[in-house]
Amino acid sequence: MDEQRPRKILYVQTYGVEAPDRMATPIYLASAAAAMDMEVGIYFTVHGPTMLRKGVPESVHVKKADGEGALIGHFLDQARELGVKFYVCQPSLDLNGMTMADVIEGVEMIGGAAFNDMAVDADQVISF
Amino acid sequence: MTDAMKPPSAAGSDETVLLDCRGQLCPVPIIRLSKTLKSVEVGRLLKMIATDPGAEPDMKAWEKQTGNQIVSSLRDGKEFQFVVRRLK
Repeated sequence: MDEQRPRKILYVQTYGVEAPDRMATPIYLASAAAAMDMEVGIYFTVHGPTMLRKGVPESVHVKKADGEGALIGHFLDQARELGVKFYVCQPSLDLNGMTMADVIEGVEMIGGAAFNDMAVDADQVISF
Repeated sequence: MTDAMKPPSAAGSDETVLLDCRGQLCPVPIIRLSKTLKSVEVGRLLKMIATDPGAEPDMKAWEKQTGNQIVSSLRDGKEFQFVVRRLK
């Protein structure tokens, strides 16, 4: 590593429960980045916040070619255990008819200005 | 981490910690490596066995980004064996 400070990656997840096969990949990549000692955040926007609705992590399975995989909650827990931070976009909560009361614990609500600040501060921003 | 919290394999012996990731696919091996290495003392070794076809490039990337060291890398058919030294 060239520099002493940790590298930062910010993932942007725009898909939620309407597209189960698009939910898990950003979580996998974020977990791998955290396992590489990077500072990692996921910004859930557009339909992304629906993945964080209470009850969803325990009920929606990640699709696999040979059938149902593990629950999405397993992968969310694994990511957070590794230090991945979850951020949710306030206007996107409105878009999905949600409030913070509907969102699982451990998620921080931020607005557009805070997201842009994080994006400029990150080494890479990767959108899904 | 206090000594009391360390698993026996990392509590000051010269034994190499073994991490068996056979049958597990990306990103599980890298995640388990990261977690397990935290229980290994700095300077000591961990041996990881994996069958993930992407293990080699993933391990090289992990080494580059974390500053830990791959001491040796072997491939026997579909099985990879990496010996890693914790430096960070």
